[in-house]
Amino acid sequence: MQKLMIRFSIISILSLVFTSCAVKTVKDFDKMEVTSQVYKTPYFSDKNEDYIYKASISVYGNDFGGIFIVKKTNETTHRAVFTTEFGNTLFDFEISGNDFKVNHIIEELDRKILINTLKRDFMLLLKEDFKVAEQYENENFKVYKSPDSKRFNYLFINKSDSKFSKLVHATKSKEKINIEYLSENNTLADKIVIQHKNIKLRIELNKITN
Amino acid sequence: MKNNILFSVLFLSFSLFSGFAQEQKMADSEISAFKNAVNATAKNTKTLTTDFTQSKHMDFLSKDIETSGKMNFKTPNMLQWQYVKPYQYSIIFKNNKIFINDAGKKNNIDKGNSKMFDKLNKLIVGSVNGNMFDENEFTISYFKTKDFNITKLLPKDAALKKYVKQMELYFDKTGNTVSQVKMIEPSNDYTKIIFKNKAINAKIDDSVFNN
Repeated sequence: MQKLMIRFSIISILSLVFTSCAVKTVKDFDKMEVTSQVYKTPYFSDKNEDYIYKASISVYGNDFGGIFIVKKTNETTHRAVFTTEFGNTLFDFEISGNDFKVNHIIEELDRKILINTLKRDFMLLLKEDFKVAEQYENENFKVYKSPDSKRFNYLFINKSDSKFSKLVHATKSKEKINIEYLSENNTLADKIVIQHKNIKLRIELNKITN
Repeated sequence: MKNNILFSVLFLSFSLFSGFAQEQKMADSEISAFKNAVNATAKNTKTLTTDFTQSKHMDFLSKDIETSGKMNFKTPNMLQWQYVKPYQYSIIFKNNKIFINDAGKKNNIDKGNSKMFDKLNKLIVGSVNGNMFDENEFTISYFKTKDFNITKLLPKDAALKKYVKQMELYFDKTGNTVSQVKMIEPSNDYTKIIFKNKAINAKIDDSVFNN
């Protein structure tokens, strides 16, 4: 009897822990069979394309803008550059898989915490291949869950038009970063919003057609 | 085949040669005459409005990034720089302050205690009215072509050097005003701005410089 009580208590404590902490991202979704091992994101995958965006950044109530430029320079590498409207380069990063190189950053922005934040954002934004570990579904979305060291990325695909519309970067219990995409043609993202959950940082990117 | 190569080499050396030949160093007498003419024009310029096209060149891109808009300047130091295409963005320099309107989102920066902003402001206003012959700030060299007088400015200030490797101002010979600006960054990427439809001393309402 005592054994049973203990077992019951353990189960209830555990279930309490799990239900209160589990990330809400795919709550109420149905878990499905994994249909493909890898999901390839389309939005920064064309080497011939210059990806140019007008950027608006809002950080703790301060707004500033600039031009955000991405170029896929080879199969595994992206250049990500941010300039002012006048054309002065503020930072210039090179991202290749898990490698991250700072080609240039102006002194005023050369802060470890800032660089690390941008590094995570851009790595998420520019990552093309996501290993699918679990798959979920509801009425509107198919969701691929992909491990990312100790964290996870949830990729939301619209069921109606197969467009990749959202990425949620989360720990086991909390959403950290949301990236939302608006795309007309499913190959270019016309608008991207990167929203942080634990710091007051929002980056909005609007595609510029030259 | 052999002839083709010979022809290409000849053609290439000819175009290189003519490329160099087009830009000549000014003689000392020409420099002082040019400076006087520009200063006289700048002195008589109370207002300046112009359209501009800007192209940002970065080596790794397949195409330059083109933007365009309007610029208004009123002495002594009110400047509005307004991008219209492909996005709406304006920046106003007035009374030691910078006012930004980013597609309706307004923002002010007090540059009172920022030396860097002050230098950039001077650089921008100077690029527009040509008042950039400050030997304390720049090492300046002077060139001429058929259509332009050209000044090339190398910043002396260590902080400014990190942003700007060289500024090149192209003055059209007829009006002695700036018609082209090239700002070269330390990476050798550059921004080129070409002014078109310039109007000098046309009436500009002060309200243009309100955000």
